[in-house]
Amino acid sequence: MSENARLKFYCDEHRCISCDGCSVACAEAHELPANINRRKVITMNEGIFGLEYSLSIACMHCTDAPCEQVCPTDCFYIREDGIVLHDKDKCIGCAYCLYACPFGAPQFPADGAFGVKGVMDKCTMCAGGPEETNSHKERELYGQNRISEGKVPVCAAMCSTKALLVGDSAEISDIYRERVLSAGHGAKIQPYGWSTAYGSKI
Amino acid sequence: MANTWGYGAMTNSLGDIQNAKAIIIFGANPAVNHPVGFQHFLKAKERNNAKIIVIDPVFTKTAAKADHYCQIRPGTDIPFMYGMLNLIFKNGWHDEKFIKDRVYGMEDIMEEAKKWTPQKVADVTGVPAAQLIQITTLYAKSNPGTLIWAMGLTQHSNGSSNTRLAPILQLALGNMGIEGGGTNILRGHDNVQGATDMACLSDTLPGYYGLSDGAWQYFAKSWGVDYDWLSGRFKSKEWMGKKGFTLARWWAGVLDGKDGNDQIHNAGTNLKNLFVMGNGITSIAQQAKVKEGLDNLDMIVLCDPFVNEAAILTDKQDDVFILPAATQFETSGSVTATNRSVQWRSKVVEPMYEAKTDHDIMFELAKRLGFYDEYTAGMKIKENKKDFTWPEDATDEIARIIKTIGLTGWTAKRIKKQTENWHMFDQISGRGYGEMKGEYYGLPWPAWTETHGGSPLLYNINRSVAEGGMGFRNRFGLEHDGHDLLAGAGSAPKGSIQKDGYPEITAENIEKVLGITLTADEKKRIGKNWKVDTSNIIAEKCMEQGIAPYGNAKARAKVWTFPDQIPMHREPLHSPRSDLVKEYPSFDDKENHFRVDTKYISKQTEKDWSKEFPINMVTGRLVNMNGAGMENRASKYLAALTPEMFCSIHPDLAGKHGIRDGSMMWIHSPEGTKIKVKAKYSFSVPEDRIFMPFHFAGHFQGEDLSHKYPKGTKPYAVGESANTVTNYGYDIVTQIPETKGGLCRIEYA
Repeated sequence: MSENARLKFYCDEHRCISCDGCSVACAEAHELPANINRRKVITMNEGIFGLEYSLSIACMHCTDAPCEQVCPTDCFYIREDGIVLHDKDKCIGCAYCLYACPFGAPQFPADGAFGVKGVMDKCTMCAGGPEETNSHKERELYGQNRISEGKVPVCAAMCSTKALLVGDSAEISDIYRERVLSAGHGAKIQPYGWSTAYGSKI
Repeated sequence: MANTWGYGAMTNSLGDIQNAKAIIIFGANPAVNHPVGFQHFLKAKERNNAKIIVIDPVFTKTAAKADHYCQIRPGTDIPFMYGMLNLIFKNGWHDEKFIKDRVYGMEDIMEEAKKWTPQKVADVTGVPAAQLIQITTLYAKSNPGTLIWAMGLTQHSNGSSNTRLAPILQLALGNMGIEGGGTNILRGHDNVQGATDMACLSDTLPGYYGLSDGAWQYFAKSWGVDYDWLSGRFKSKEWMGKKGFTLARWWAGVLDGKDGNDQIHNAGTNLKNLFVMGNGITSIAQQAKVKEGLDNLDMIVLCDPFVNEAAILTDKQDDVFILPAATQFETSGSVTATNRSVQWRSKVVEPMYEAKTDHDIMFELAKRLGFYDEYTAGMKIKENKKDFTWPEDATDEIARIIKTIGLTGWTAKRIKKQTENWHMFDQISGRGYGEMKGEYYGLPWPAWTETHGGSPLLYNINRSVAEGGMGFRNRFGLEHDGHDLLAGAGSAPKGSIQKDGYPEITAENIEKVLGITLTADEKKRIGKNWKVDTSNIIAEKCMEQGIAPYGNAKARAKVWTFPDQIPMHREPLHSPRSDLVKEYPSFDDKENHFRVDTKYISKQTEKDWSKEFPINMVTGRLVNMNGAGMENRASKYLAALTPEMFCSIHPDLAGKHGIRDGSMMWIHSPEGTKIKVKAKYSFSVPEDRIFMPFHFAGHFQGEDLSHKYPKGTKPYAVGESANTVTNYGYDIVTQIPETKGGLCRIEYA
């Protein structure tokens, strides 16, 4: 990973089979309450041939994060490596970030009214929060901090078909480019000749 | 499979699928059932431009990734495959040389295929003729092509014919024994292949040795027990050789033919006790009968890490014992994967709380029943020890005894070394690097000797036997109807001393076939044939001469011991097409089929089932669950994905019955049973059929049985079992239940 690396998620819709391995791994690793979905798998046009696609969606850790721009208490901060995190002690649960987010990533506990109980929770790219790294409080509020241990975020680590990629955006785009370019490898590139058109028996 | 070419197992491997140019997935849903393995299919598409063709009654997650999808009517796989063969033979796309040298009986298939024109196939299967032609053309012209299947082909009353015609299709195209080809049957659960190899079956001893007297003699000797003591454990000697009951119909053994149930042949008595180890018997067809069976037992013992829902289903109040079994993380040993490869699994923690490992439970039971010494004797033989070490000595015992599928190379020491070095193998070919050079990952069986590197690709004659090559097995004699059954000239594996076909190796023919002379000492130590040669002389000598110990024969398209010598279409017992039932009737009823009289034609013609029950019903799996779903529904996060039992139904069909998305509906079966489930609108099923997952339990015919769970053991999700309404119907050879395609009637609840 280069010094200027910005960490990104990318989900390859040609590979995602909506197995939900990512979302279950996430919930299990961070011991999330049942109604908090840091990561979700969305399926479009289910059951229709040629049109059904699935994607795994969570916080996309935007470079120019709208949540950060609208937050009235300025609880968001963006790390040098591009991971967007927030401070739950500052969050007032107003849900402005949810309105701003194009991906519906911010989650709020459903067992209390907004602002009373529920401070926002979202994907941390397994990088914890502003508390002391790997402290008990960080674990309680934000879940595991795998990045500090040099591990891949748990969702991508668990992805059964390696549809969900995470890491240095330059490397991810290399991996995806390789997949796209190799598709079609071995395909017929020569023009149609006699045998193709009429069969070898004629 | 075994009856076609010798072994009933996946011929290639998941990694090898990346070498395919076309992939047919027939009645299987790997995206849901083998999500990690499915990456190889997707990579084949990316790297090899492979075309994926899915043939399934239901549009699955696998179909969503396919290039072509055929929505076939349940139970019409044979017409579809004959339709393909019809076009293949007509256009001369078949591999003539391959068929001539390596296949017996293809002429009969060619005759039958002539009847199945695309128009005829379209009428029976519901797949348009143009689509059949398009798919067949694509598949026949894209070599190599691999054929994948799972329960969608097997769980039919003629499933054993389905699983013969699929290999025949591959033989016709010469797709066998090559990289990227083969018949890749996907095994459903962890270690299913291993469990089958070790005979969790009622018709054979471990290693598919069968139940003949010779087999029992061999095992008595190899286990270090007295043959007479062994036969004395049976009611009489003749019962040693008889098949037992199966998982599908054990309950008939309890019900003893009373109240109109099928008659049994069990030495004049019925089954009284049931001992279940890690089997979700609530995911077996005909739950109402399973319940009746459970209720009439004297004693039920259930060993599982979670509460086996058989305990919830039964009304029995006394003598139901739930033993806490340890999980895979609390024990160690070898496990066999779908591609016949083995891995060592290490213990992570000691068994927690009161849990005991499966083998400890068995040992304690053997002690109480008074045969512990005999039970464990085999583990001490190799080194003549006083005591044994679990599981290493058990693994070595298996390696010492099981020659039929070539487990000689699977010593505990080798398996551990393989697993410890699993990063030193190529992911596609399985070949080892560096220290592991000369071995394939997981030593896929047959691994003929203690140094053999395994056979990743069955029936490949382009490799030497030492490198995993072999022809088809000589298993069905040397000739039939005057035809030679050995392989044709020049079709022996590479580097072989014999260039043509040859018989399986015995002490008698070894010198002649291998062109060697045995020493007097070797002659003294050698076993009668390769299957019982514990001296390993036959296997060792064969490796030196490049000979496969099991011979080099032709595969057969015709099985003369089966009710249908070549696969024939027969409508399911409960078919929506009564007109076709007359044309393609089921088998004659079969007496004493795994000890139970089993109905075929009499059930099929009892009445026109389609009048009262017009809708086809298919069951299958969900990605977040497996088997009976006991442990998955006990996981908060897995249960949250599908918290309720449901039925996928086309909005137009639902609309006709006034059923709205999310409302409850009744499903009635011809057996007189019913379930109440939630309707889920879905375009994955057409208007003439419904789909249901089979992982739920805890409700029965509309009644909630949740109060029966012992305190603190109720799973997060409970619901009706789809198998309460699966129909009567069992395969004619294997007795697997016909769950993929029965009939039902639906109504708004």
